[in-house]
Amino acid sequence: MPDEAEIQTEDGATVPRPPAESSFESLMVRYQAGDFASATTLIEACSPRLYRFFLAQAQSRADADDLLQETWLRIHRVRHTYRSGEPALPWFYAIARHVRIDHYRKAMRNATSALELDARASVSDAFSRETDRSYDLETLLAPLSESQREVLEMLKVTGMSLEEVARATSTSVGSVKQKVHRAYKKLRETMSAAGLGKERRERLS
Amino acid sequence: MNDKEIDGILKNAKAVTGDPDPEVLRRIADSIVPSLRPVRPLPPAWRMTGALIAVCAAVSLAGALRVGLVGFDKMDLAQRVAVFSGLAILVWAAARAMVAEMIPGSRRTVAPVVLLAMSCVALAGLFALMFHDSSIENFVSIGLNCLLTGLLHAVPAALLSWLVLRRGFAMNAVAAGLLAGMLGGLAGVGMLELHCPNFETAHLVVWHTAVVLLSAVLGAVTGLVARRLARTIA
Repeated sequence: MPDEAEIQTEDGATVPRPPAESSFESLMVRYQAGDFASATTLIEACSPRLYRFFLAQAQSRADADDLLQETWLRIHRVRHTYRSGEPALPWFYAIARHVRIDHYRKAMRNATSALELDARASVSDAFSRETDRSYDLETLLAPLSESQREVLEMLKVTGMSLEEVARATSTSVGSVKQKVHRAYKKLRETMSAAGLGKERRERLS
Repeated sequence: MNDKEIDGILKNAKAVTGDPDPEVLRRIADSIVPSLRPVRPLPPAWRMTGALIAVCAAVSLAGALRVGLVGFDKMDLAQRVAVFSGLAILVWAAARAMVAEMIPGSRRTVAPVVLLAMSCVALAGLFALMFHDSSIENFVSIGLNCLLTGLLHAVPAALLSWLVLRRGFAMNAVAAGLLAGMLGGLAGVGMLELHCPNFETAHLVVWHTAVVLLSAVLGAVTGLVARRLARTIA
């Protein structure tokens, strides 16, 4: 029987009881220890970030909802792979990214590219009617490659650090810097080619 | 348009994308309740890296002891130190990369493919530097024999490595397979260096190095097949 400072895991081993703080990292440790309150707090605190991450490239809000649920199921299944003391946010994003890639590949298999592009375009139009600024963001990021867009979203929209983005995307910090540099270069070229005037730029920012 | 203006647009986008439906969050919380039990976290990375290095060393040594340490006996001290310390560094790097590949959100210093390329170049360079027999006798037949022997030792080492990290979660099955194969290949080369008495430079550079390369490619293909299989089942 484990003492009060320890808890028993699924496979019968005993692990130290986690601390009672409330950062993502300490919540994650308590979630591993089977604490339901920590799990729900984590879901509430992390989901908005993950939702935005999915929404940026999902075809619809329903898709983003599905991806979010799938991500939490996978997080739950592999929660033992989080190691105490490591940053939790990149761990969440790494799994979310894995789910998104899986979803994307499945979608590619199930639908023809043309149909998918049509669907994406119509969603973009619908979204532009809903929120003009979001349409501008999509237009702005459209010329970028998938990986460049992903890195920019994490870095600039989600507010992660270079180190966190590198961990989440399973690459090195140097590779992230290079992607950002290339993305900005491409964005500048595209904006110049499109002849975006000062007035539009002021409206956008 | 400058970087600051681009930053501004991206920042504005944050406010408009919205939050998830609270009902969805409640559904997520409800779905994990039935299976919410304490889990045992993975051991520290250094311990898993150490276990992988031990697996490689054990497979190399066991294989070489079975057929004799002829190569090791034939080497001079400088060759022994250079070859085995070089191999140890490469095994450590591959083991570290494999552990990182199996833990989401781990720090990466180099991409698996780059690590493989660097390892093959380093290994070939080490052989070229330490062995100076330029003769070539039965290059293909003896070489194929070494390649096969190396690969036969790479397979159990790769499988045991996978077993050590079975509780991990491969973010990229192809990269994880490539690293497992590379680690196995290095174990195979270790066995060959202990056993193979053929010190012809061309033989070592081509056939011994090929064990690592081929084993890594086979590992990557296995990872790809496993990923496709898992998706088909899902």
